[in-house]
Amino acid sequence: MKKLFNIIDQYKGVLPSALMVGIFMLIPILIIVVYSFMIPNPNGGGRTGFSFDFFQKLFFCRDLFDNLVFSTGYLKIFFRSMWISIIAVIVSLLVGFPVAYYIATQNADRRNFLVLLITIPFWTNLLIRTYSWILVLRDTGLVNSMLISSGIINEPITLLYTEGAIILGLVYTYVPFMILPIYASLERLDIRLIEASRDLYTTHWGALRYVVIPLAMPGIIAGSILVFIPSIGAFIAPELLGGGKNLMLGSLVQLQFSSGRNWPFGSALAVIIMAIVLIALLIQARNSRKNGTEIVH
Amino acid sequence: MSVAIKADNLRKIYSGNPPVVALKSASLEINDNEFFTLLGPSGCGKTTLLRLIAGFESITAGELCLYGNNISNLPPEIRPVNTVFQHYSLFPHMTILDNVAFGLRRLGTDKNKANSVAQEMLDLVHLGEYGARKPDQLSGGQQQRVALARALTPQPKVLLLDEPLSALDLKLRQAMRSELKRLQRETGITFVFVTHDQEEALSMSDRIAVMSAGEIQQIATPDEIYERPANRFVADFIGDANFYDAVAGKHKDELVEYIIDDITSLKGQRVESIKENDKVTLAIRPEKVSFVKAGDKDTLAGTVSDIMYLGNTTDYLVILQNNETIKVRAENHHNGEAIANVGEPVSLAINPAALRILKK
Repeated sequence: MKKLFNIIDQYKGVLPSALMVGIFMLIPILIIVVYSFMIPNPNGGGRTGFSFDFFQKLFFCRDLFDNLVFSTGYLKIFFRSMWISIIAVIVSLLVGFPVAYYIATQNADRRNFLVLLITIPFWTNLLIRTYSWILVLRDTGLVNSMLISSGIINEPITLLYTEGAIILGLVYTYVPFMILPIYASLERLDIRLIEASRDLYTTHWGALRYVVIPLAMPGIIAGSILVFIPSIGAFIAPELLGGGKNLMLGSLVQLQFSSGRNWPFGSALAVIIMAIVLIALLIQARNSRKNGTEIVH
Repeated sequence: MSVAIKADNLRKIYSGNPPVVALKSASLEINDNEFFTLLGPSGCGKTTLLRLIAGFESITAGELCLYGNNISNLPPEIRPVNTVFQHYSLFPHMTILDNVAFGLRRLGTDKNKANSVAQEMLDLVHLGEYGARKPDQLSGGQQQRVALARALTPQPKVLLLDEPLSALDLKLRQAMRSELKRLQRETGITFVFVTHDQEEALSMSDRIAVMSAGEIQQIATPDEIYERPANRFVADFIGDANFYDAVAGKHKDELVEYIIDDITSLKGQRVESIKENDKVTLAIRPEKVSFVKAGDKDTLAGTVSDIMYLGNTTDYLVILQNNETIKVRAENHHNGEAIANVGEPVSLAINPAALRILKK
């Protein structure tokens, strides 16, 4: 008994956060996992019972004679999601790294101000911000009308409802998650190391390659994961900017819970997304252990 | 003897509001194979001058030549000059060997060759065993030696050292002084050493440039700097000195009477450029004043007001008859007994050759 008290005493500091994580994260996840094995109820929700069908449904479908046949329909969505998310990560990295580097090399006051600017988009609803992109990208939108009036093109180019538009939306939404961890690792980087590298016969680019990027790697990896995870499950950008025709996993989940009335299948998809995320995190944890570097949170 | 570095009216102004003049105008010549020290208090411009030589800062005006080539506008990676940084600046993500081989690798030397040269250099600084470690696994003194090895490996024409010993503790610092001297002899590379520590400068350098307020005050050998400081700043910054304002009197033979006030005057050597009635500053090192028996000729009478025991020496503060204070430093012989006690009347003598006369 005394021993138990000791243990409680030792961990009482983390009790509130453990409760938070338990109530608001673990329990919902558990509910989703339970749902994914249930039988769908036509009115939404699920009936009790055990079924493994919806993990099957991802790879197979039933033909006219009720035989299971291999189907690529959902796999295509799965790989498209992976693909679009990876591109979004790469573009975010290409955009985010220079921004983070620029901020990190400013003086302290300016740095804080610029970091504040990076977070400003979060003050507005994501839906509204994504809608505004429609106004920019559509055939009669800002980009096309500017290009036409300047005489570069005669016909509007289709920008909206393409994969490019989805990627743009994802990058726009999640690039702060790339910038902030990279900034955090660059801010701690000793600028004098760049001088040392220049002194030892590297150019600006050489210093970037041999010193800055290797030292920013924890931030780059953390940022990539932070962009990849929400991208793979995103549904606002694919829905609004992709027009729902280039379905991604997030939209598929949303579809199952709303008009699809198939909560168990939606849950199964959510569990799959979660699995991908976990695998990505495990790879990261393994890498960082190997390199002896810490994860930047 | 060829000239390694020639600086001609180098000037550095940092833009800003207001702009900061870090280096007013510096001209100097550093000889090949010389251990040259830039000495001065913080903010005197010595580090700026070093950074101009390294190429980290752009030159506002003037010209900088390295072995006769104008390098004023070359970026640091083109200059055959390497730096040992004050905080070592070792690359934390690389092993010690990779750190040391870095310069050669970037110059295009193949990996095996670069590593073997780096290994030799690590042996030279007695760290041959540590090649596989990371910088944070080494002590400050070891990191210091790695930084040295890293800067020496590409065999630069000139090695710049930016207060490299300031972060080490006293014993290590003293050991590193002879180590640096040895490395300089063995490699034959010109060393430009920046420090604010006069002891470091005096003990290691072939020549010293004393700097203050963005200007070079004097360039000379260590003994000349100490014995014949060019101005009051140099005399004050290097070692201890007593200063008195005086007026030059008539000269008899080679000696001149320098009159401090009605009752006090000191005999000193004649200086060519100083005429009768010129205002001067007299500088006297405390260890060049000696206690003598009362009644001798040309002595100063006074009373001991304070005693500071310093181990091998003792400082006596003596109040002279004109109420000026003079610091006298005497070696401690026997069992450390004081030569005079507080309140005791004493007589002091100053050798005319030891009196330094500075123009005002």
